[in-house]
This record gives sequence, structure tokens and C-alpha cells, in this order.
Amino acid sequence: MKLTEDVIYRNSSQFRNWSFTPTQLAELRLKTNIQACERVKANVARQRAQRAAIALDGGGASASDSERGNTPGLENGNGNENGNSNGGTPMRLDKEVDCLTVAEEMRLVDFCCETTIDLAKFIGLPSDVTATAVQFLRRFYLYNSPMTYDAPVVSRTITFIACKTDNANPNLDDYVAKLGKVTRDQILAPEYLIVQALRYNFEVRHPFRGLKGAHLELGEIARGAYTPVAPDTRTPSDLQAAITALPLPTSGAITDKKTISIENRLNNAYGFAANILKRTAQLTDAYFLFTPSQIMLASLLLADEPLTTFYLSTKLPSDSPTYTKLLTTLRSCAILFSSHRSYTSSTLSPEEQKAVKDKDKAEISALRKKLKNCRDPDKMDLVKLNQAQKRDAENASGGGLEESKAKRRKIAREKAEKEADDFWGPELGKK
Amino acid sequence: MGVSPAVSPHLMVPGAKAPPNASVNAKTLAILNNSRATTPGEGTADLAEMMNKDVREQFVEGKFLGSGTYATVYAGHFRADPTKLVAIKKMRILTDYKDGITMDSYREMKFLQELTLHPNIVRLHAVFTSKDQNLNLVLEHLPKGDLEKLWRDSSISYTREDIKAWSAMICQAVWFCHENYVLHRDIKSNNVLIAADNTLRLADFGLARSFSEPGRPMTCNVITRFYRPPELLLGATHYGGCVDVWSTACVMAELAARAFFLVSETDIQHLSVIAELFGIPTEADWPGVSKLRHWEVAFGSAPPKRPQPLSHWRQRLPLMGDDGIDLLRAMMTMNPSKRLTARDVLKHPYWTNLPRPTKKENLPHGGDEDAEKKKAIDDLKRRGGDLETGRSDKVARKLDFGVK
Repeated sequence: MKLTEDVIYRNSSQFRNWSFTPTQLAELRLKTNIQACERVKANVARQRAQRAAIALDGGGASASDSERGNTPGLENGNGNENGNSNGGTPMRLDKEVDCLTVAEEMRLVDFCCETTIDLAKFIGLPSDVTATAVQFLRRFYLYNSPMTYDAPVVSRTITFIACKTDNANPNLDDYVAKLGKVTRDQILAPEYLIVQALRYNFEVRHPFRGLKGAHLELGEIARGAYTPVAPDTRTPSDLQAAITALPLPTSGAITDKKTISIENRLNNAYGFAANILKRTAQLTDAYFLFTPSQIMLASLLLADEPLTTFYLSTKLPSDSPTYTKLLTTLRSCAILFSSHRSYTSSTLSPEEQKAVKDKDKAEISALRKKLKNCRDPDKMDLVKLNQAQKRDAENASGGGLEESKAKRRKIAREKAEKEADDFWGPELGKK
Repeated sequence: MGVSPAVSPHLMVPGAKAPPNASVNAKTLAILNNSRATTPGEGTADLAEMMNKDVREQFVEGKFLGSGTYATVYAGHFRADPTKLVAIKKMRILTDYKDGITMDSYREMKFLQELTLHPNIVRLHAVFTSKDQNLNLVLEHLPKGDLEKLWRDSSISYTREDIKAWSAMICQAVWFCHENYVLHRDIKSNNVLIAADNTLRLADFGLARSFSEPGRPMTCNVITRFYRPPELLLGATHYGGCVDVWSTACVMAELAARAFFLVSETDIQHLSVIAELFGIPTEADWPGVSKLRHWEVAFGSAPPKRPQPLSHWRQRLPLMGDDGIDLLRAMMTMNPSKRLTARDVLKHPYWTNLPRPTKKENLPHGGDEDAEKKKAIDDLKRRGGDLETGRSDKVARKLDFGVK
């Protein structure tokens, strides 16, 4: 059995299920958006009709268990922690729901990816685990809309899932304590929902190790210790001479110096590229459109172009068609990075950066405001939704639980529900 | 795509012709086109839920095979083709793990979704969530039990050619894991299952993980004790594929001896059992060994000990031959950095020397209709990392992730 890196990658779930052409990606997002809009509108309409019915005869008792769970507004008239309280637009009978566009959805998800990176940094996760969480989030929102599932809520759970899949001390109590203001149930409720949307694929192939490898190899070349592979006939010292004689890059990692030692040059390029991979690469569609090694080389290209083309020339003859094709691909990936806000903002003055940040903030808060009025009312409270689903499954199967146990639970539930409506709220837990 | 249909098990429907990506998109489209119905019941299912339902409906669940602490297993088959059998493993919701889906489930799903190409690794056809929020892993139907059952069954006799054939299949599976940067960390004869065509399948990836980032610690509390290499017993938290190579050698030796190869009651005792055969490692042949966490307790005050001579091996493993013994000893070199890698193992002359390995259709097996059922039950009663003999030290699946 012959096994090349290419064969391995082509059999990865990342390539099989999560690689797209730009057109496929745009189509998929449009479809998800259309479906979500339709559902929001239908569910809002249904809820309005139910409200009207309740207003008319004061009864709505036919709603199934799960429906009641999903629309807490129906029973006690007050909103839940996820917003949509005090009669926002969806509750008004006369107005058509104004849904998010694909671009607006993407903006919200991108913003959430940024906050996920910040959150992960805050709780001390390594950058590869963080990157896994961000990519899970991006994958999730290919098949879901933030109108259906609110991105910040999904992000907390997805980060916890990434801790589990990537062996980063996944203890829920610790995690909840670090996050604050969130319960264990809130983290766990959307877990099944998310693993379904991730299609049970948990391996994300990152470009980080590849970059480290390239860095080490360049270091060997600079020390004259690297023998190139055929058909490259140069000697180690030829390569050493060539790497030291490279012209300095005009943009990227070194812009202010006239001369620099080769060690420093390599280190600068590595650091610059690593930063792109940790942030900008995560915030773009790079993982959907390119392979990890393309992403890695594109970041290196932005950091130090002469160095990167030299590095490629030690792998491929620069007159081969593959070389040209590769470089074209790398350039389009590099453009994806260099045109992203997180890349351009680093070149701005502090005042300009602040202006951009403020503008972003205003943009996001306007979007969140719009989102509030077009959330899918059925998917507001994931904790209750999850409980209701479990309950429905138990009721439907009949088995699973013994009769007495089910009855006990039902009584406890009804009691809790009743108490929740009491003026002073429910009794505290007895633990 | 460059993937021949014969080796692309990720296609959920037998005989589906579209390449995976295309089928995803086609499916998505189909789902979207059907989603116009907005009745409260079906309309509340989102795209992912519908995809999940699609997968679920491709399989028909059959008779109950067995249940245990970790999962319940049912026989089943593809709805479209009742002759294509599967085993449906329903992961149990554990009462002592409160943090949602378990690490074991995540690991098993994660790695089996990637290692889809190799004929000696158990095939995961699909995963779906049932209505009551249980994960269901649809695995290949493996009716002929496992390797441990095989060597224990005194009614089956087998030859050195058979041992070579089985060993080759295991070594290739381990090599494939390592080429994909996956450590199995629980290789033992009872995790090697036998398929209907007599070929072997490496199974149970519940303790597997990707190779660690250099410098980041991993737990040393993995691999069932009889198969655990000295560096883990000594407390090493940085290791690579060499741990699996040691376990693989144990399995091969076990096949040849028709008995567990290295037997002990405790971790510390296991180290002395290893030392009995291989001698006590010295700083000269394993630099740094005396700095490992448990060195002092284990060997700190022990007098030097020499390894057993070749004659001892010949006497213990007559079926391996000198080349086989040479391979085993290279796979069980105490110093993990001098141990053969899975790649090197496949280059050893043992494989190409005579006698040739038995062809799969001629391999002996003890498979009968009930074997699967028995296997399923036994498997499920055991905790991962434990031995069937019940001499468990409860390393089980309580990993410490090297943090703290």
C-alpha cells in the first residue's frame, strides 16, 4: 500500500466533507439562509396565531410537550435569558419579519469567531485547540443560521467540545467556573445538536505543525546542513549561499531594516506567519477552500516572499507547471488573508485602529439588534428544548423508563413548573 | 477523488456513485427542497437534524447482541440491502460521567472517521443520534470473535504461517494509524477482531489520540498492563508510536505462545517481569531512563540484571523462528527511541523470508453464529484497558490528561 501525504489528506473528513469551491460555499450558505428565513417566518406566524387563539379563548392546551418547552413566552408571558422579551417585533401581528442576509449572518459568525479566540485565550487554551473550536464553529454555521441558533451560545459549547476532542483538560466544572455566568446545563444542552451538525467529524487538520516543519528546514538550509532532493542538484553550501543572498521582502515580516541576520530573518518570518495562522486564517474561509499546507505556505508568502519562493524552489523546479499552479493557489489564499480586517488593521495607526474597532462595534450591535427581531422562536431556549426533546423521546418510546420513575419525574416537573410561576419564584434546590 | 469505491466506506448507501462531496451537496439540496413543509412537527427539524434522520433511516436495527457498562450492541443491516450486515453500537449515557458525551465516544468517532482507508481497521459506516439522544455507531459486522478467543480455543490448531499472516495484518494496521499520526494506546489481542473473510480488524479507538504537540505531556496511564511498554510503567509522559509497537509485539508473541506473554499482578510487578526477560535498562543503553518518575521505586536499588539469551526465546516461542524472534526483540527494545518504528517493522526480513504467510481464505478460525454474541457480551462487561482475566488495576478510562 502506497501512502502519500496527499492520499492521507484526501481521505480525511476535512477533505471529504468540509472542502468546497467558492461557488459551492456560497450556494450552501444561501440555502441555509433561505431555509432559516422560511422557518423563522413560519414559526413566528404560528406563534402569533397561537397567541391570538389564546387571547380569544384563553386556552392553548393542545401544544405538545416540546412546543411548550420551546415557547416559554406562551405559558408565563415573561421572556427568558436569551432575549426576545417584552413584545419585540415577532410578537406583533402586523409586521413581516426582517431576516438577516447571508452577509449579515457571516458578519455575526465572524465576530463570534473573534470572541471565541479571545475567550479561549482568556481561559488559557493552546492555540491549536482554539483553532479547532473556531473551525467547528464555522462548520456549524454552514448548515445552521445564527437566526436559529445564537452564535455566542453555540460557541461556548463548541469550545468545550474542542477541549474534549483535543485532550485539553475537559472538566465541565472547571470550564463553567472559568467562564462564569453560565450553567452546566447551558453548556451541555446543545451538544448533540452540534455534533450532528459537525457530522460527527472531529478532526481538524491545522497548518501549525507544517509551519514549524518549514521553519526547521529553512534553519537547516541556513546552516548548510540540508541536502536537497532530486532533481535539485545543488549542494548544501550552494543552498546556504543562496538563502543568505536572498533580497529582503518589500512587505510582511521585515519592512524597516536594511540588513538582518539570516537567523533573525527566519524567526521574524516564522512569527509573522504564525500570527496569521492563529488569527487571520481562522477568521476567513481558508480551511474550506485550501489545504493545510497551502494555508501554511500562503502565510509564509505574506511574511517573506523571496524566502518562500526560494523554499518552494528547493521542492519543485521553478519552471515546472506544478510550481506555477501552486504559486497561483498560494497567492489567492494570501489575498484572502491580506484583505481581511484582522490583517489590514495591524498596519494602521492606533487612532485608525480605534476608529475601525468602534465602527465594528456599532456594526455588530446593530446586527444583534436586528437579529433579536428575527430569531427563530422555536430555538430560543436550548436548555428547555433539550429537556423537552428528551421527554418527548421518553414518552414516545414508552420503554426506557419504568412507569413509576416516569410518573415521579412528571410530578416533580409539574411541581417545578408551578413553582416557577409563583410570585417568589421556585424553591432553591436541596443540594 | 482518486478513491476507489471499494475502499471508500464513508459512502453511506451501498452502490452510491457520486463522490462524497457531491453527494453531500445533492443531499443538502434534496433536504432543502423537501423542507418547504413547515408543519410544527417536521418543520422544527433543522438541516443537521434532517441529515441525521436520513442516516438513521438507512439502517434497520435487528436483534439485541449484548450490553454492558459502555454500550449496547445490536445486529443490523442496511435498509437498501438486507444482506449487508452491520453492528450498531449504542453508546450508553454513563451515570458517573456528567459532562455530556464521553471522551471515549469522541475518540472512537474522531479516529474511525479518519482511518477509513485501511482493510485491517474496523470500518465505521456511519454515526447517528437516536431520538433519545444516544449516539449510535454503525460498525462493520465482525462475526468471528477476536484473536484472544482464537488462541485460547484449544480446538483450533494453527501454524507458524498463520501467525505470520495474522501478525502482518496487525502490523499494517498499526503502521497505518501511525502514518495518520494516531496512537491507538490499547492494542491487545482482544481488540483485534476477525472479519467474515478471516482478515483481522484493529478495533476500539476509545483510548486513541493524535500524536501530541512536541513538549506537551500525555498521560502514561494507558494501555492494558500486559501490553504496556516499560517507558509508560516508568511514568514517561512524552512518547510516540513506539508504545503501540511494544503492544503489537506482545500480541504476536501471545499468538505464538498461546498464552499471555508478560504476566503480572501490579504495575510495579510488571516492570520486574519485563526486567526478568530484558534485563534492567542502564543509562548506557537508554540515556535518561533513571530520570523517569518511577525509576527509583522500580529499579533504584536493584542489582544489575542481564537480559535472557536467545535460547530462552527459542524455547518459549518455537513457532516464531529466529527471524521472528529477532523482529520481536527489536520491537521490544527497552529504549523506545531504539525500538523499531511501525514503518521499520514492515521492512524486517521476517515478512519476506520463508515460510510464506497463509492466504486469508485458508486461515483457521473458530467463528460460529454465536461467537459475535458472546464477544459482544464479554466486550461490554469489560472496562476499557482491562483484561478479560479480571486482574484489572482499574486504569480503565480515567485519564489524567497530564494537566496539573
